[in-house]
Amino acid sequence: MYETVHVHADGPTTPGRFGVTVSRAGFDGMVLRNRQSNMVTVDAESLANQYGIGVVRGIEITAREKAIASGAIGNRRPEAEILLVRGRDPDLNRFVAESPRVDVLADPMGGDGDVNHVMANAAAENEVAFEVNLDGVLRQSGGDRVQTIADLRKLRELIEDAGAPFVVSGSPRTHLEVRGPRELIAVGTEIGFDLEQIKAGLSAWQAIAERNRDRLDPSSVRPGVRLVDDSDSE
Amino acid sequence: MRHLPKHLRPRYRYLAVEIETWPDADFGRQALQDAIWSEARTFLGDVSSAAVDLQVIEADCWTGGGSALVRVRRDATEQARAAIACVSSVDGQPVRIGVRGIGGTVKATETKYCDGPPDATGTESVSFRGATGRAVYRTDRVDIDMNGLFVGATPREL
Repeated sequence: MYETVHVHADGPTTPGRFGVTVSRAGFDGMVLRNRQSNMVTVDAESLANQYGIGVVRGIEITAREKAIASGAIGNRRPEAEILLVRGRDPDLNRFVAESPRVDVLADPMGGDGDVNHVMANAAAENEVAFEVNLDGVLRQSGGDRVQTIADLRKLRELIEDAGAPFVVSGSPRTHLEVRGPRELIAVGTEIGFDLEQIKAGLSAWQAIAERNRDRLDPSSVRPGVRLVDDSDSE
Repeated sequence: MRHLPKHLRPRYRYLAVEIETWPDADFGRQALQDAIWSEARTFLGDVSSAAVDLQVIEADCWTGGGSALVRVRRDATEQARAAIACVSSVDGQPVRIGVRGIGGTVKATETKYCDGPPDATGTESVSFRGATGRAVYRTDRVDIDMNGLFVGATPREL
C-alpha cells in the first residue's frame, strides 16, 4: 500500500522526512506529488534504498484552464511515473477524465468540483483513476467535513456504477499529517467504503507506477513485448 | 458501589497510541483526552462515541513526540482507530497520531508497543536552505527551527 505526499522546495517537510514517516507508519512506499509549476529535485532511488520503501516520481498538474493543462500533460508525460491532474472544477474534471494520457484525476470533488456519470464512464474507458482524497475527512470539521463525506459518497457510487479505476490517499502536506494504512482503512470504512475498496485504492498507486515504468523502459516495444539483447541470452 | 459480577463487566481493549509533534509542543493527559473526545463526537457522533467509550489512561509527552494508552470497548477498536486518526491537533499544537498496537491488558500493551522516548536528543545550530536555524535531533530525524517556523528533515539532508 502506498501513500502520496506533497513535496515543495520550501515546504515544512523534506522528502527524506516523509520517507522515514511513511515507512514507520507501515506503508510499502510513497508517491511524490511534485507540483509541475514548482518542481523539487528528489533522488528517488537513494530515498528508496535508505528507507526500504518504494518511491514513485509523480508529477501533479494544477493548471486552472484546459489549454494550459493540456500543454503541461504533453510536456510532463515522458518524465512522470504517475501523472496527476488536479480537477476541483466540473469542466476540468470532464477534460481530464477524457484524457487517456493522464493516470489520476486528483481531488475531483475538492473546491467547486463535481462528478457525474458521463465523466465516470469516460474515466473507465480511458483508464483515468479517480482520487478518493481523505484529506478533508481527516482534517476538516463541522459542515465542511459533512459536505466532503457526502461528496465522497457520491463519488463512490459513480465509481461503482461505471467500474471506473480509483486510488485512495490521505494526501499529507507535512509529516505530521501522515496517517497509517490501518487508520485510513478505519476512516474509509467509517464513511461507507468497503475495507477491500480502500485497500485496493491504496495499492493501485503501485500498480499504476509499475505499468508506467514498463512503458518508460526503452527496451519495451508494446505491452508484453520487449527487446532482448542477443549477447545476454547466449 | 458494589463491583459488577464478572460476566456483566464491560470488556476492554487497550490501544498503544504513538504521537509525533514539533519540538516545542507540550501537553498533558487531559488535553489529549479532550482532543480525542471532541473528535470522536464530531466524527462518530454522540451515540457511537458512547459505544466506543474512549478513555485516555495515561499520556507521556517528550521533546518531539509522546505516547498514550487509550482504553476502548472491545468490539469498537476500529471506530476508535478512525476517531483517533482524525485528531490533527492537541491544544492547538499539530500532531501526527496513530495506533501502534492493541492489547488485552495495560501491562501487555505497554511491554509490547510502548518504546519510551528516543535515545539521542540534542540541539545545535545548523545551516539549512541558505539560513541558519536551531536543529533538534532525535535518532533518525531532525526538526529545524527557522525563525519560529519548523521544518522536518533527516540528519542526512543537512
